[in-house]
Amino acid sequence: MALLEVEGLRTYFKTQEGTLKAVDGVDFTLEKGHAMGLAGESGCGKTTAALSIMKLLPANGYIAGGKINFMGQDMARVTGEKLRAIRWRDISIVFQGAMNALNPVKRVGEQIAEPILLHEDVDKEVANKRVKELFELVGLNPNRVREYPHEFSGGMRQRVMIAMALACKPRLVIADEPTTALDVMIQAQILELMKTLQRELELAMIIISHDLSVLAETCETLCIMYAGKIVERADSVEVFRNPQHPYTQGLIAAFPNVKGERTMPGAIAGNPPNMIAVKPGCRFADRCSLTKDICLNEEPPLIEVLPNHYAACHVVKPR
Amino acid sequence: MAKDIISVKDLRVWFQVRRGFIESILSEEQKFVKAVDGVTFTIKEREIFCLVGESGCGKTTTGKAILRLVEPTGGEVAYFGPGKEDMMKEMVDVALAKDNIDEDQAERIMERGGISIRALNKKRMKSMRQKLQIIFQDPYESLNPKQSIYDIVAEPLVVNGIGANEAEREERVTKALNDAGLRPPKNFMWRYPHEVSGGQRQRVGVAGALVLDPDFLVADEPVSMLDVSIRSEILKLMLDLREHKGLSFLFITHDLGVAYVFSDRIAVMYLGKIVEMGPTERVIKNSQHPYTKALISVVPTPDPKDREDKIILKGERPDPSDVPPGCRFHPRCPSVMDICRSEEPKSVFVSPGHSVSCHLLTMQ
Repeated sequence: MALLEVEGLRTYFKTQEGTLKAVDGVDFTLEKGHAMGLAGESGCGKTTAALSIMKLLPANGYIAGGKINFMGQDMARVTGEKLRAIRWRDISIVFQGAMNALNPVKRVGEQIAEPILLHEDVDKEVANKRVKELFELVGLNPNRVREYPHEFSGGMRQRVMIAMALACKPRLVIADEPTTALDVMIQAQILELMKTLQRELELAMIIISHDLSVLAETCETLCIMYAGKIVERADSVEVFRNPQHPYTQGLIAAFPNVKGERTMPGAIAGNPPNMIAVKPGCRFADRCSLTKDICLNEEPPLIEVLPNHYAACHVVKPR
Repeated sequence: MAKDIISVKDLRVWFQVRRGFIESILSEEQKFVKAVDGVTFTIKEREIFCLVGESGCGKTTTGKAILRLVEPTGGEVAYFGPGKEDMMKEMVDVALAKDNIDEDQAERIMERGGISIRALNKKRMKSMRQKLQIIFQDPYESLNPKQSIYDIVAEPLVVNGIGANEAEREERVTKALNDAGLRPPKNFMWRYPHEVSGGQRQRVGVAGALVLDPDFLVADEPVSMLDVSIRSEILKLMLDLREHKGLSFLFITHDLGVAYVFSDRIAVMYLGKIVEMGPTERVIKNSQHPYTKALISVVPTPDPKDREDKIILKGERPDPSDVPPGCRFHPRCPSVMDICRSEEPKSVFVSPGHSVSCHLLTMQ
């Protein structure tokens, strides 16, 4: 059985203008020890989809439908103490801005020990020993556990965040734009660390990023999201070698590749649709160059167009 | 051969480190953060010159120092662009009238060429700034949310006292919005920043820079806050401006991919100094400095076979207030030699226009 099965997930937000359908029917499965990437433009619902799994939604957000089957439990229905027990012990998260996610007036060691003490019946000594081990695991000097966040550089703070996420030996780690605020060299260090940890600890990971190349380097599978839906899903190398959905093709073409040809990257004209008043038909139709009549009326389902390669587009036929 | 527009020679920007009371008693040595520490380059007319490097390498400070948005500590910045003769003539005439220089000196000054930006007084600097403008990184924070797009774009005109009346100003704003690709301008002029998309916001920033009709633009990470799908629209806009208005750019970015596809020449900065500079194609495809090679090797790439020879440098960039002796890169360099620890490498040309500061190249 898969570690995580998400089926028809819908996450909506109540706003003054109406209901914003941030995630509107998303399906995926994640096996133990696998890494999956969620990519897309800002506002496409990738972060909301991932946060829904942990039920870390803002007050006006709610799961409107679907199942989130995690280790035999439907996370969409779990609440209260039960939910608290799962959070951080089984599923943890690495937030984007390590700068803001850490408590500036608390020693980093204590911050990492906190979830251990909360979730496990251990004393401080055991927890502190674990913190030191975690520091070593993520490549930090264990003698620095008593320092404060401001004494660490950006890259090291992100390592602290990763150590914290691993504190209770979770099965699944969600990483939301884990390297976006970092320099390219530090990014490379962190990505290397994440890959090693994933392999050694058999972690399942969901990595969220707008940078497709970052995901290609770290994930086995890649889901491309657009306007609250997954429009393409396949093995990450396959997505790059053989993108099927016009949106994926556009996204890939928009990335300048320093190791490839020196050509001006393409742009995808227009803006993503308004998620409060979603029009019928394919959500990408307004920006697509291949739009036909059917695209304006009927929403394309996500179907297997090549072996293990899914796309939601009327123009792409299964082969 | 194209003419130079900006020449920067041995530019230095040092910031004093504030000391506590006790520190100031105990040690006499004043520490400096050497953000820019001896940078030399020239930018030609209609050229896109790119500064790349990690955060804290001094690339933004270099850009700001050229416009004197931070005051340089040392070095020269000279302007050779359009309008230079008139401005110089006026200055020379003033000096002649005051008998500060004689006719011979005046002639020599006129022949020599550039206007030294650092030597300008406040009033002249103000008129110089009309020729030199900047586009900022964050289109969300650099626009005043309480001002309409018209007010934002017209502000430089008001500040500089340009445009005799409102109608004339409106005409210039319309033209600037149009040049920045916000068409038709009437649809955008009276809206507020939050009412337009991120890409359009960055275009408002561009319009604000264009309204004074500049010749040279510093673009500080103009696309790094934007979604990939709209980045190239802004890049193309800048190419357009070069094509049709003859603008030159100092383009500052940490994104080697953008630098690669977009610029004519690249300079790679590390800890306040340029370590490698040359035509874009050569710097990227035939890089010589170990730092440049490492930077390029770690750019994430979709193709697994491009990932094989990554050079991941250990540690993070050192503190610019405590620059290592010798080559500043030596503590992180994979090919460090004895000489690197004591002697600063000189810049040498490896091919026409392609210079590198590394001992590896002078040893052979």
